[in-house]
Amino acid sequence: MNRTILVCCGTGCLANGSKGVADEFQRLIDQRGTDARVKCYVKRTGCNGFCENGPIVKVMPDDIIYYKVREKDVAEILDKTVEKGETVDRLLYRDDQGRPVKHQHENPFYAPQHKTALRNIGAIDPTRVEDYIAAGGYEALKKALAMTPAEIIEQVKRSGLRGRGGAGFPTWRKWQTAAEQEATPKYVACNGDEGDPGAFMDRSVLEGDPHTVLEGLAICALAIGAEEGFLYIRDEYGLAVRNVTTAIADAERHGILGDDVLGSGRRLKLSVVRGGGAFVCGEETALIASIEGSCGEPRPRPPFPAVKGLFGQPTVLNNVETLANIPVILKDGGDAFAAVGTEGSKGTKVFALVGKVKRTGLVEIPMGATLRHLIYDIGGGIQNDRPFKAVQTGGPSGGCIPAHMLDLPVDFDTLKSHGAMMGSGGMIVMDDRSCMVEVARYYINFLAEESCGKCTPCREGLRKMLEILTDICEGRGQEGDIQLLEQLGHTLQDSCLCALGKTAPNPVLTTIQYFRDEYEAHIREHRCPAGVCVKLTAFRIDADRCRGCTACARACPTGAITGAVKQPHVIDSSKCISCGSCREACRFDAVETEGRDAV
Amino acid sequence: MTITIDGKRCTCEKGEKLLAVARRNWIPIPTLCHHESLPGQASCRVCLVEVVQQGRSSVVASCVYPVEDGIEVYTNSDRVRAERGMVLALLRKRAPDSQLIADMCRLYDAPDLDRVKVSVPGKCILCGLCVRACTELSVGAISTVNRGVTKEIATPYHEPSAVCVGCGSCASVCPTGAIEIVETADTRTIWDKTFRLVRCARCGEPIGTEEELAHAARKGGTEPDTLCERCRRRSMTDVLAATYGDRE
Ligand SMILES: Cc1cc2nc3c(=O)[nH]c(=O)nc-3n(C[C@H](O)[C@H](O)[C@H](O)COP(=O)(O)O)c2cc1C
Ligand code: SF4
Ligand code: FES
Repeated sequence: MNRTILVCCGTGCLANGSKGVADEFQRLIDQRGTDARVKCYVKRTGCNGFCENGPIVKVMPDDIIYYKVREKDVAEILDKTVEKGETVDRLLYRDDQGRPVKHQHENPFYAPQHKTALRNIGAIDPTRVEDYIAAGGYEALKKALAMTPAEIIEQVKRSGLRGRGGAGFPTWRKWQTAAEQEATPKYVACNGDEGDPGAFMDRSVLEGDPHTVLEGLAICALAIGAEEGFLYIRDEYGLAVRNVTTAIADAERHGILGDDVLGSGRRLKLSVVRGGGAFVCGEETALIASIEGSCGEPRPRPPFPAVKGLFGQPTVLNNVETLANIPVILKDGGDAFAAVGTEGSKGTKVFALVGKVKRTGLVEIPMGATLRHLIYDIGGGIQNDRPFKAVQTGGPSGGCIPAHMLDLPVDFDTLKSHGAMMGSGGMIVMDDRSCMVEVARYYINFLAEESCGKCTPCREGLRKMLEILTDICEGRGQEGDIQLLEQLGHTLQDSCLCALGKTAPNPVLTTIQYFRDEYEAHIREHRCPAGVCVKLTAFRIDADRCRGCTACARACPTGAITGAVKQPHVIDSSKCISCGSCREACRFDAVETEGRDAV
Repeated sequence: MTITIDGKRCTCEKGEKLLAVARRNWIPIPTLCHHESLPGQASCRVCLVEVVQQGRSSVVASCVYPVEDGIEVYTNSDRVRAERGMVLALLRKRAPDSQLIADMCRLYDAPDLDRVKVSVPGKCILCGLCVRACTELSVGAISTVNRGVTKEIATPYHEPSAVCVGCGSCASVCPTGAIEIVETADTRTIWDKTFRLVRCARCGEPIGTEEELAHAARKGGTEPDTLCERCRRRSMTDVLAATYGDRE
């Protein structure tokens, strides 16, 4: 029997030592001559999306998946699973009922997922073009070469694909506009800037399946008549840059890209541009300015890039995930793609599910699934079974959706009509210990730092919104602040030059809309209901509930907690900095918060 | 094609900017960062107007908005007044020493925003025209530094620039007069750098800094000027007169 050992070598698993695990497999196989008994092959794959449980190791064709594998576990896996096909129970995932889960598709995190953009990731070695081809790669490009540009665009139109980079613009329309332009040369470009903190879906695709993105770009180039293209990848994404660079070189060597695309006589030269890492450089006109070598500031639109983009020429810029869907659309047809999803949002979407859920990671599900499905079925619910409070969707300039809207379907239009947005697919889940004013302040602070500072409302308006929010969080809020925040928010939405500023008020406006009482408690009563805002919160230990386990005393960074073992503990308020570490540490809910005089 | 601005029908051509059409028709729209020779800045956002197209209304910056047939434009709707007023109010927090901004705030009913602090003292509204002027018309001695709320305009490392020629192009395009030029009988100081002024060989009027004249000469492939504009024209007439011999 042949066996393949798939070791996840995405950034998350690498950080947990998966390279050592892969090396150890190879070393032991060579040393013990395992190969003579079982033909086996160690393959390093891209990210499986469940990084908190990494390093992840899969044994095929048995389809056994192990988590948190260490180098010391390798020998046992070889002995039992590779040589005998038995499972190593202690390395299996335990489901919510504590039962061991042997196969990936039985794992509650993976079971509901529907992989399209991520279809190859975790199964192929991203550094081997042969792997991609064996998985059906570049067949779509072959097919596209036999089609006219209009036929290609027609399939993309039928698929209903909308851009995954944030705005959800219909992909075919951008392509059509660029295709109609008479000016040449034209360019294609891939947006791999991924500036949302916490998002890593694009990184995972670029690292784990770079050829998919190249194939998507190549098909786009055929559709619009471009012969040159760029992949703009943020500089911190070292592995993504490496894998994409390798992929381009391999594809050229195999005659897939370069001077004679698959023997068609067509030319396509792709290259990687490393981005400096500013959030605003993900905005399309700023990104184009950045590739051209000027300062990464947005420019007014129109003209849109499809008419006048890179170097003033027609340019299609698509997001990584958008492009990863293209080969599937061409191969299976636009109608098949459109069979999944909702009326206005077709296909699947990859989400980075993070925050206070039990299971965090990358999740690809059909558009239109509910927030509840995402957070409770896939995410397993809230950590420590605390109440769910809100979820921030769409990154820093997305919106906060409250608990009573858990049954909202997640698609472009629904999120937008509720003041939030799809953005790149960030989902930050919050429990009852999150202060919504502080959440808004946190995002506005991020955006104020990341604003390019070119236009007045964004630069000056965010600064003032931040000032007011900070005041509210620190007990200096005033009557009228909520209205002023709303006014500023509307001005930004209407008058900013680019979408960073136009969407920046979302976290403030949605938290005001859904959690107005929390703002009022801060302003009128100088009280932070969630017990988060440091200047408004004092901590106290309830002597009846305290078991004297000492967990809080050990967690306190200032040594403010004293008490003997098995005796109730006490907080010395003169030493307490209200950081809340004790409350996080307490397993008996004995730490309480109360208001405190701010000034 | 035709559009209407505040109810008035205006004819215009494809590609024209809304601001230009309005001004041609004597409809006033305030601007700060718009400059005929350096178009497309679009950073101050005080030229906001409301555009209604196929029943959908949006607020746009008129200085860069290309007109489309049949649009209805409102330069003073409630929405425009509210957003423009807020933009101006924010600028007053940013440039509290600018008389122009204070006047515009009064004229356009900007809210006072007393609730929040003054952001930065001074007159600079960071419109970026000076940087454009220096980069496109002169030597590129100044640039924006930092981003977001900490953005400012400066010479490299806030030190006197090695390349600045003291031409003052930056100051001449600044809408709020934020760039200080100090001149004495024979020096000009700008951006912390002092230049010697050259005087017209004929009338003695200052004609520019040594570096500025040398830079212009290098660019034009000529010798540096020694005469002021007027005397140069006069000397040209003299030459012509000498040639054709009909001196008055
Ligand atoms: C502030 C800002 C940041 C953005 N960052 C990204 C990004 O990191 N990646 C991305 O694909 N799109 C980003 N976008 C959206 C792009 O401007 C653009 O719409 C997108 O790349 C188009 O591709 P799509 O149509 O395939 O979505 C950003 C937009 C804004 C306003
Ligand atoms: S909205 Fe913000 S990020 Fe966009 S151009 Fe204006 S200042 Fe720059
Ligand atoms: S004049 Fe139009 S944005 Fe400044």
